[in-house]
Amino acid sequence: MLTFYKIVFQIVILYLFFLLGEWIQQSLHLFIPGSVIGMIILFLLLLLNVVKLSWIDLGSKFIIRHLALLFIPVTVGVIEYLNLFKGDGLILVFIVIISTLLVMISSGLLSQWLVQRKEIKND
Amino acid sequence: MTNLYIGSIAIIGTVILYILSAKIHDRFAKPYTIPVLTSTVCIVIILLISDIPYAAYMTGGRWINEFLGPAVVALAYPLYMQRHTIIKLLIPILSGIIAGAVIGVLSGVFLAKWTGFSDEIIATISTKSVTTPVSMAITESIGGIRPLAAILVIIAGISGAVLNDLLFKLFKIHHYIAKGIALGSASHAIGTATSMEKSLIQGSVSSIAMVISAITVSIITPGIITFLV
Repeated sequence: MLTFYKIVFQIVILYLFFLLGEWIQQSLHLFIPGSVIGMIILFLLLLLNVVKLSWIDLGSKFIIRHLALLFIPVTVGVIEYLNLFKGDGLILVFIVIISTLLVMISSGLLSQWLVQRKEIKND
Repeated sequence: MTNLYIGSIAIIGTVILYILSAKIHDRFAKPYTIPVLTSTVCIVIILLISDIPYAAYMTGGRWINEFLGPAVVALAYPLYMQRHTIIKLLIPILSGIIAGAVIGVLSGVFLAKWTGFSDEIIATISTKSVTTPVSMAITESIGGIRPLAAILVIIAGISGAVLNDLLFKLFKIHHYIAKGIALGSASHAIGTATSMEKSLIQGSVSSIAMVISAITVSIITPGIITFLV
């Protein structure tokens, strides 16, 4: 039960960082989302040891483990665009899939080649 | 009153379907059984059959959606835990991400132009590899269609999550760093969630890829669109 309260409390801390990020994003008109700004700030504060790992570790692990759940409401939004999956729209869907695969192949192969080259050099 | 009712059912129903679909995925770990796909399909069918509009579902759904913000913040934790590995391999990581971002924008734009889509759609498709809020912001600034951007981002996310194992086998991509970069660059947060299921380090690399590629795409896209469209 204590772990449960810890998780809830730590998620509240994460939420405060999110609000801080949103506030910074809106006041400085940045194109980076508030959540990402919040993540960068939390990361820096962990590095500087201002925020202790034990303040956020349980909540972070819990929320990351269930990340997929959090996407469901947005992805259900497909329901508003079901006609995209017929006619010309279907071509667009295919283009997105092909382009996605091209990104995965190029970024994956290039980084793998560079990482392995570095690992061999270090051995 | 009815909205409150539908809203609560939406929250509880989504969570139950997610738990069930995660259990099914544990039993039959196939690419097409990933929870975000099976749950979404189930909910879409339920809403269509019972004639409930998406907006009504979202009176509850938005409470689940609200946790996406703190969840992205939480990615600082794995990032911090893996900082030494990441710093050691920073150049390969950054090179892969930037190459992926450029190819993502160019391939989308060229394919859409070649198949004869309108300038608005070409502009919209260029942002599909990056996380929704950034994609929306870029789309707006280059004259694309915002709701279409959101849906293309989801398709990029789901297709990467479903096809990554097959693709990695086919192209002999087996290093966890490379897999993390590929998924984060191509499928943003959904790809990062998929990577997180494999390992903490792959997930951390994925979250870096998601962030850096979002920044890269937002810098290069306006230029590419002006020159090519």
